[in-house]
Amino acid sequence: MFRLNLKIALRNLWKHKGYTFINIAGLSIGMASCILIFIFVRYQLSFDQQFANKDRIYRVVSSWKYADKEDFQSGVPRPLAAAMRNDFGMLEEVAALQRAGGIIKVKDQSGKLRLKTAEDVFYIEPGFFRIFDYPWLEGNPQQALVQPNTVALSQKMASRFFGDWHKAVGQTFQYRDKTLKVTGVFADIPDNNSNPINIAIAYAGYENKDMKEWYTVSSSSEVYILLKKGVNIADLEGPKNAFLKKYYTDKESNGKEDHFFQPLAELHKDANYGNFSGKIMEKSQLTGLIAIGVFLLLTACINFINLATAQAIGRSKEIGVRKVMGGRRKQLMVQFLTETLTITIFALLIACVLTEAALPGMIGLFRENISFSIMDHPVIFVFMIVLVLLVSLVAGFYPAMVMSGFNPMLAIRNKVNLGNSGGAVLRKVLVVMQFTLTIILMTGTFIIMKQMKYIREKPLGFNPSAIAMVNVPGDSLSRLKYKFLKTKVENETGVRMASLCSSGPSSMDVDDINFSYNGKKPGFHVGSKYADADYFKTFDLKVISGKGFSGNDSLQEYIVNETFLKKLNIVSPEDAIGQKVSLGGSADQISIVGVVKDFNNTNLREAISPILFHKNSRKATVIAVKMNTQNIPATMKNIEAIWNSVYPDHVYMADFMEEKINKYYENERVIGTLFKAFALVIVFISFIGLFGLISFVATQRTKEMAIRKVLGASTLELVNMVNFSFMTLVLLANLMAWPIAYLLINKWLSGYAYRIELNIWPFLIVTSVSMIATLLTVSFRSFSAARANPVDALKDE
Amino acid sequence: MIKIENLEKVYKTEEVETTALNGINMHVKAGEFVSIMGPSGCGKSTLLNVMGLLDKPESGSYKFLETELLTMNDKERSNFRKRNMGFVFQNFNLIDELTVFENIELPLIYNKVAAPERKRLVNEMIERMNIVNRSGHFPQQLSGGQQQRVAVARALVTKPKLVLADEPTGNLDSSHGNEVMELLCELNEQGTTIVMVTHSSHDASFSNRIINLKDGHVISEKINKTRSEELI
Repeated sequence: MFRLNLKIALRNLWKHKGYTFINIAGLSIGMASCILIFIFVRYQLSFDQQFANKDRIYRVVSSWKYADKEDFQSGVPRPLAAAMRNDFGMLEEVAALQRAGGIIKVKDQSGKLRLKTAEDVFYIEPGFFRIFDYPWLEGNPQQALVQPNTVALSQKMASRFFGDWHKAVGQTFQYRDKTLKVTGVFADIPDNNSNPINIAIAYAGYENKDMKEWYTVSSSSEVYILLKKGVNIADLEGPKNAFLKKYYTDKESNGKEDHFFQPLAELHKDANYGNFSGKIMEKSQLTGLIAIGVFLLLTACINFINLATAQAIGRSKEIGVRKVMGGRRKQLMVQFLTETLTITIFALLIACVLTEAALPGMIGLFRENISFSIMDHPVIFVFMIVLVLLVSLVAGFYPAMVMSGFNPMLAIRNKVNLGNSGGAVLRKVLVVMQFTLTIILMTGTFIIMKQMKYIREKPLGFNPSAIAMVNVPGDSLSRLKYKFLKTKVENETGVRMASLCSSGPSSMDVDDINFSYNGKKPGFHVGSKYADADYFKTFDLKVISGKGFSGNDSLQEYIVNETFLKKLNIVSPEDAIGQKVSLGGSADQISIVGVVKDFNNTNLREAISPILFHKNSRKATVIAVKMNTQNIPATMKNIEAIWNSVYPDHVYMADFMEEKINKYYENERVIGTLFKAFALVIVFISFIGLFGLISFVATQRTKEMAIRKVLGASTLELVNMVNFSFMTLVLLANLMAWPIAYLLINKWLSGYAYRIELNIWPFLIVTSVSMIATLLTVSFRSFSAARANPVDALKDE
Repeated sequence: MIKIENLEKVYKTEEVETTALNGINMHVKAGEFVSIMGPSGCGKSTLLNVMGLLDKPESGSYKFLETELLTMNDKERSNFRKRNMGFVFQNFNLIDELTVFENIELPLIYNKVAAPERKRLVNEMIERMNIVNRSGHFPQQLSGGQQQRVAVARALVTKPKLVLADEPTGNLDSSHGNEVMELLCELNEQGTTIVMVTHSSHDASFSNRIINLKDGHVISEKINKTRSEELI
């Protein structure tokens, strides 16, 4: 029986090759998209999930409430870890994690320099390894990092330093001015981890570990806690409030300090705080992706349901015969569902091929190492099985129900009429649904593209082009050579000018400092940057009042931006010149010597903040080099040579200002590409579905069209008649999509301080495009149907 | 009114050529009721289709009121057809999705008749066909005879100069068949020219003249005296 059914199913599929192709193409592309999304989401959700205690691990983060905004920080004050260990009884463990970085030198037995490299390092309290059960290959995680100047390395780092990680324990290497002894080796930390630790140095040796300042927070100082078993995180609220009261005693503080216990799983998903790996995937984006996956699959299922019910009449005779010969409804249902399952499994096989083919593109897009290996992640296999069953059921159930419910008497005589019954209405509803989703995605894509273009082209208030940002070492000895380096670089042909500074005009890391203006504390912080006299010319910033910095380094001077004045309600920039500002509670009163025209000091999601430039080239971290646009690579090579001759003990690192700015929009790049790809997929699925449906309708209405033609209808009138119903459906879908798309897009755009105005044009354009595409798709088929000779259709059977 | 000369029509499939019409000559006078008879495959339906401008012959001439129709292009043929001809089919060919009223109205719509005028003409036709209480019904709700009356009404509502009927009683029982034939006779008496293809000599007896076809030729013509005298 099964073999017979299979034979009938296969022959049926073969007979209707066109419809079969549409079904399988739609389903396989939809399923491939779903599998890709699943692989990606699974990977994103796997971050920080490999630890036995994961549900009891929290990171302590900081926030400040100001009059006009709220600030978030992943870091905490340095004394916090010790204080919490003392004050909270419900914690099994508290451990500080301090990021630092510097030059590492490894020497071989003979004392010759073997390796010189700049690396991020982490000072780690031993308790950290009781919270996180990283597998250790050598050494004891509880004892290895107790003594100052001991260090544990990842397997990869140990092999790099000493050739073979087995030989690492007991060896030493130089980190800055310290000699560190290797006491342990741990397994490489996987990519899906928010703390990319390769070099773990004992916290006991950290030079600033005993700092008592509660009002200074660096994002490099993190603290993790492990709850005692059975303790609810909400129970910590009371002790926390007491804790805040006990340690934050300064009544004059600008903002209200608070701490929050962030669940480990959130580290990867909360952009407010960030993490050391720099990898963030916001929950809303994951939800959006999942929604798109469901959309795509639904669209493909709708094609299937539409074409299956449309074809049902053609199979009514088979159904009639089966019923007359004793086939029960349940058996027929099983038969049809099996057919759907067969198609779906076939589609899955193609989907797997498509997934494999698309995976490199996706890896390139996300710059993450994602694998589609069922061996590594059996859950992907489970997902595929669930997907097949779900699709078979969603796509197959309704057609199976309709077909198995035919009256055998009518069915056997081919007299089943689905034309006016629920089938046609359902098809219309499904088509409208399908196109509503399509239009939403199309409109969304269109507007995302527009916003991205806007961001790319918006003038930032300074000129970032052809500027290299070359790091300079921060130790006191190196600082003495800043001027020397600058002069040498400036003399290089191809270099127009250079400036020693703490960062470019636009940078993500802004130091927010409280300050007083003429002795009074206003209710906001100012972002401070260090710069020398050439800074404003190098970046083409406009000084609108006063003058730039003087060349005299010993003279302390400030320059502020327009927003700084606006926030202080100073109308004329001239009024600010000569006024006194003191920063961060210092007693020094320093004059404002100039006002610079506003520029975008961070990405365009954020509004411009008040900025203060502090003339001090000794606090520089980079030298910004403005070059002639010709032959930049050669100029860069020469700069590197100069740098290496000035700082032979350090490691040269440089990037371009424009690339730094582009990195702000990494997320937009990914989202934009995804939307483009998936919009294309959904448009493809919807329109081949539409084509299938119009083919069916045209066949079904051949006779009616012939009659009308005989009665005098012209070809155009007939084409219009058939097209009209489809055009109305798509128009209706557009009208339904508009408000939904508007709400979603407006929400997305509200994340940008600088955004395009949402007007009716994108909606009208997408509507016109979709209507024209529908017209073309439908006309292609309806025209040939209308052109057919009516005599053939009217011949008596 | 109609003058047909040397009409030839050949159907080609991959293997065989079938000559459906092989040099047909015939004429139809205004106000005549002509039956075309002959065995299956003799070309009578093809002839009717050619007369209805639904099919194109290879050669010959077809003049309708002195106008040559075979040289017209598709659009002109279509326009000529909808202004001058009405069709009645064996299987009625009503549109299932439209009511009786709407079915009859359809040719008027394609003839761009204004809505109030359409309503008047359709109602007039419905009254004449004695199907007033059926005007809101769908075709499936009617008996075969009633359906064919609707089809006749639809063929006549544009007041065509020529009605072409293809075995109009073929799907009806004899009493309903007679009803339809009487209706056609009545229309003919009111001045409509009718050309009918039929198998049934009983039906043919209602007409003025019977043309017999065989293998694409006219083999004989017979004047039906009882009816034709009225005409003369």
